[in-house]
Amino acid sequence: MASADRPARLSRSRGPLCFDVPDLGIGVGLRIPHYAEVLETRPPVDFFEVISENFMVQGGKPLYHLDRVLESYRVVQHGVSLSIGAPAPPDMEYLARLKTLLRRVGSPWVSDHFCWCDAGGAHLHDLLPLPYTDSVVRLVAERARRIQDYLEVPFALENTSSYLTYTASGMPEWEFISEVAERADIALLFDVNNVYVSAYNHGFDPVEFIRNVPHDRIVQIHLAGHTNLGKYIIDTHSAPVIDPVWELYRQTIALTGPVSTLIEWDDEIPSLSRLLEEAARARAARDQVLSSPEGAAAGVPHPRSAP
Amino acid sequence: MTEAELRELQHWMANELRRRHDLGKDPETRALAQRYFTGNDRLSPVEQLEIYREQFWLRHTSSLVEDFPGLGGLIGQNAWQRLVEEYLAEHPPASRSLRDLGDRLPEFVARCTWLEQHELCIDMARLEWTYIELFDAADAPALAPEKLASLPEAAWQTARIVLNPALRLLRVRYPVTDLRRALKAAHAPVPIPAPASAELVLYRSRDRVIGDEPVTPGAFALLTLLGAGTPLVEACERVVHSLPAEASYVEENVGAWFQHWAERGWVVDVEV
Repeated sequence: MASADRPARLSRSRGPLCFDVPDLGIGVGLRIPHYAEVLETRPPVDFFEVISENFMVQGGKPLYHLDRVLESYRVVQHGVSLSIGAPAPPDMEYLARLKTLLRRVGSPWVSDHFCWCDAGGAHLHDLLPLPYTDSVVRLVAERARRIQDYLEVPFALENTSSYLTYTASGMPEWEFISEVAERADIALLFDVNNVYVSAYNHGFDPVEFIRNVPHDRIVQIHLAGHTNLGKYIIDTHSAPVIDPVWELYRQTIALTGPVSTLIEWDDEIPSLSRLLEEAARARAARDQVLSSPEGAAAGVPHPRSAP
Repeated sequence: MTEAELRELQHWMANELRRRHDLGKDPETRALAQRYFTGNDRLSPVEQLEIYREQFWLRHTSSLVEDFPGLGGLIGQNAWQRLVEEYLAEHPPASRSLRDLGDRLPEFVARCTWLEQHELCIDMARLEWTYIELFDAADAPALAPEKLASLPEAAWQTARIVLNPALRLLRVRYPVTDLRRALKAAHAPVPIPAPASAELVLYRSRDRVIGDEPVTPGAFALLTLLGAGTPLVEACERVVHSLPAEASYVEENVGAWFQHWAERGWVVDVEV
């Protein structure tokens, strides 16, 4: 592939970012209950994120609303069904439709997850974790590199929340995602809440996770709430971000610098104004860290010790 | 772990997660879970897997409840639970989009003769799946009046009418559109209506609202033929032939129908 066709990557040297992508500020997920209010009131949101699959349709309300939102806002695309680690290689028909949507949206990057979703013809509509092994690193990296080349924008994979760990895993999750990202030369979407959830569920130190991923590859950060069931946490996106996750976010921003940050809220969706309050909190936290070296040194509690 | 071993693990997990009952009760599953998963100080390996199985059922049941509120309200909780479990067992979700989850539910309901009010259930399932299809069906520009005006008289002899891709025709035996509205708004049981056959046009309007409108048998037959690509004149002749009792009614009203359909956005083009 000619260099002009490659995604907009600057260099492998450690700069603020490996990829030439904008810092879009603080965004929120665009969800159906808010469509009308967003279009009527044009709230002060830096950017919206859309679930790609919801707009890979022929017509109707989804594309109408997307086009109206695009008139006033930057939009980034986030996928949930690529299934990069599935038994079957990525579906080219799906990727072609994704690319068509990319052209419509002008998303500066496109993302999905380190996971698998389907096997044997059954799509589970879940983000199932992968075993963290060298062979799976190679498998996912090879596919990710091809996808990024095909889509012609930076391709980011997101760390997921998980509820099980494989006996076959031979490395921690942060090493796995770092290896894939470096080997494939792709970007990362870093979900701070997912780090917290998985740290709680599997008993690792979230700060070690945060410190040991390639920060210069992180093009976007996700924040969300979850549901703590005692024995384990489910990543429900149904509640406000909890204080320990805000602390982890500050720690992350201190390491990444200014990176586009998004509030996800997908279940028990609140009013738009409540969602925007959460976004304002993210902005305040980010601004505080970026303007104050002391803020970056804030202590981060281990999830198991959080109230 | 080789790629072959990974595939084997994933196929096994995909099957386990679609099982209807607690995985911990199956000794073979417990043993394989012990082999594949670490567990931790709070959850055994099979309990870790069970979290995903519960999520599978929660997610897909919720999606079908959201897409088929009329059917769910009609048959009640217990029958709904059985229906969904049997449906997902026979038709595992195959599409990457949850939007498609219920695409085979109408035909499945048609085979579930154990359902009370079976014919009503079939009508409701077909109606609700049609609504899903219409929600994101392709857009089409409105019919340009100048195009109609510029058509020479002779062209109508072979002209084909292009219907809006966001339009469906549905013949029902019960007043399901009204019943669905009542069920969605109800806080108390809704009485089962008496049978009342109707031919419906279901469509997405220009302002993207999904509507329904009953039409006469002649209009329904004509729209069906036009939707199948039959030229307008031939379609009219076939309707008159197949519905002799309505022949004069059809001949007298076809012009007005066409005007109404164009105003509604049901007709989007005329191909000559």
